Amino acid sequence: MKFSDAVEFSLASLRKRRLRTLLTVSGVMIGIGALVSMISFGKGMQKNVTEAFKASDLFTTLMVMPGGPDVPLRDPDRPGRTASSGGRRDAVLDDAAVAEIARIPGVRLAYPDVNFPAMVSLGEKEEFRLVQVVPAAIAASGALKLGWGKPYASDDEEGVVVSQSLLRRLGTDEPAAAVGKTLRITSVSIDLGKLASLDLSALFSGKGLPVAREAYDFPIVGVTEITAFGGGPSPVQNEILIPPGPARRIKRLPMTSIWDLFRMRDGRLGYSAVSVKLGSLRDLERVKSRVGDMGYTTFALADQFEQVTKGFYFMDMVLAAVGMIAIIVAALGIVNTMVMSILERFREIGIMKAVGAGDGDIKRIFFFESGAIGLLGGAAGCVLGLAVSLVINRVVNFYMARQGMPRIEYFAFPAWIFFGALGFSLLVSLVSGIYPARRAARVDPVVALRHD
Amino acid sequence: MNASPIIRTRSVAKTYLIGNVRVGALEDVSLSVDEGRFVAVTGASGSGKSTLLNLLGGLDTPSAGTIEVAGALVSAMDRDALARYRRLGAGMIFQSFNLVASRTALENVELPLIFSDVDKKERRRRAAELLARVGLAHRAGHRPPELSGGEQQRVAVARALVNDPRLLLADEPTGNLDSQTSREIVGLLAELNRSQRLTVVMVSHEESLVREYAQEVVRLRDGRVVGTESWA
Repeated sequence: MKFSDAVEFSLASLRKRRLRTLLTVSGVMIGIGALVSMISFGKGMQKNVTEAFKASDLFTTLMVMPGGPDVPLRDPDRPGRTASSGGRRDAVLDDAAVAEIARIPGVRLAYPDVNFPAMVSLGEKEEFRLVQVVPAAIAASGALKLGWGKPYASDDEEGVVVSQSLLRRLGTDEPAAAVGKTLRITSVSIDLGKLASLDLSALFSGKGLPVAREAYDFPIVGVTEITAFGGGPSPVQNEILIPPGPARRIKRLPMTSIWDLFRMRDGRLGYSAVSVKLGSLRDLERVKSRVGDMGYTTFALADQFEQVTKGFYFMDMVLAAVGMIAIIVAALGIVNTMVMSILERFREIGIMKAVGAGDGDIKRIFFFESGAIGLLGGAAGCVLGLAVSLVINRVVNFYMARQGMPRIEYFAFPAWIFFGALGFSLLVSLVSGIYPARRAARVDPVVALRHD
Repeated sequence: MNASPIIRTRSVAKTYLIGNVRVGALEDVSLSVDEGRFVAVTGASGSGKSTLLNLLGGLDTPSAGTIEVAGALVSAMDRDALARYRRLGAGMIFQSFNLVASRTALENVELPLIFSDVDKKERRRRAAELLARVGLAHRAGHRPPELSGGEQQRVAVARALVNDPRLLLADEPTGNLDSQTSREIVGLLAELNRSQRLTVVMVSHEESLVREYAQEVVRLRDGRVVGTESWA
């Protein structure tokens, strides 16, 4: 039997039982559709995060923290470092340490991670935000993607950079017009004058904390564009950036102040973290070990990215597993349809055998039939998966936009997803066809011809 | 007439297992049919006529004994060889016609050619030619339910002969037909037998048709040959 004839036979048989074919194909379509949307969702998230990582220079960022429990013993002879004879004493991240780190070859910039809570307002609306103190050198380094205006030029410039999404929250939809406007930052600090007369019982009930609100006005000099996945330890972490100079005069809660903000450790004060920007990824290991030698803990996202990739791999597996359940159900549907088809066409199989069809011919007819179901269902499933993904993407983005959130493409559709889905669907249908095809080929023509 | 035998069976037996009971359908059947003869097989129902025909047609395999058709040992063939034999070696027609209801007369006649990998164009040509020979050229596009019993059996004859076999096996071909149509169909078989030297083995219990058209008869009872008679 020729290939083309087998195809014709299969299609003729599928056409003859339209409703059942439609239902079985729908089963495959839903399975493949689910798989396609699941995988494209996984790929979409992976793509978004990977691109955000790349865009925000996170790979060349090294976080340095004071010594932790996993810090190796330090060389006691090193000047300026605490000895670690007997009991452990942790290294402290002070200005001298920051300067020393900045001098390591390969380090482009090192600056302490400092931020404080404040209310920010632009006219009517007021929002609570963390204000991040970022040196001008960072703001100008390219780590900030400014859509409008420019970064502040010096550490003492009176000016702030805000994000587009913050502006939206504050009721301004035109970032260009916002440049030059005045942003009010209202900080909170403990009113020392009232501290003496503090009523402790009122304090414990949550009232009467002697806080002082103080407002400071800064012109907006630049607006960062919305980045979907701007999280992580980078300058774009917060939505409002301020240079160190003006930040210094803002009164804040002592627990989160800037240059005065030190952490108490072994009787010495230090920053909680220092961000280090590297010139290139190649310097990472060397700088890491130098900083480690100095007694600090390091954290490089580049190292973590492999874990992230593994995480995505795992996520893909979970999503695919969910899709597989639908595929298995669809495969059972194919087997069921094909076995039914054999029973219905029992006599026809007998006739075909009587006129000389071999086992292989009969097998081929049934195999092609289930293959056709797989191909049709696979193709329809790709369309369905794409359509559902696009609709979900649209709906979610519609609601996100109303929340002032940036637009994100939640799904990614590399071509291989569709080819893979189609191929997989065909494979599943062929595997589903093995048993029915064998069974059809085994039909005894004498019995089948006696059959009514 | 002096011809070599085209069919030769030796001590053919066929038993079926029904549950745990062995039921004999044929026992010790030894036959010889010369090429170009029109042989009738008669017997009461259950005498093993159809079983014999199924064995000769390669639809079934004997439990014992040998069957030789045109020099080939059919009883020793594997499944593939049997399919090939059914396709090319022997054509079969049945009481219930056994046409595929969803296919036209022409497509039904084409069926054996499809399994012989013949080109579509050639297939069409040969099927049309056979349909014309059985007098159904004008009904080529009709499906079996639109055809009369006699017409359906003619389509079946055309289909049985489309691969040019030397042997035609007919299992009660007139069982579902009225007497007039029965005569026409058996007449057609006799005509094909004469004009093409086609060997015909026909199972029938209509004594008058057998007497009129066949040249010899094999009588079966309880699975055994109880007599043969030749008159032409």
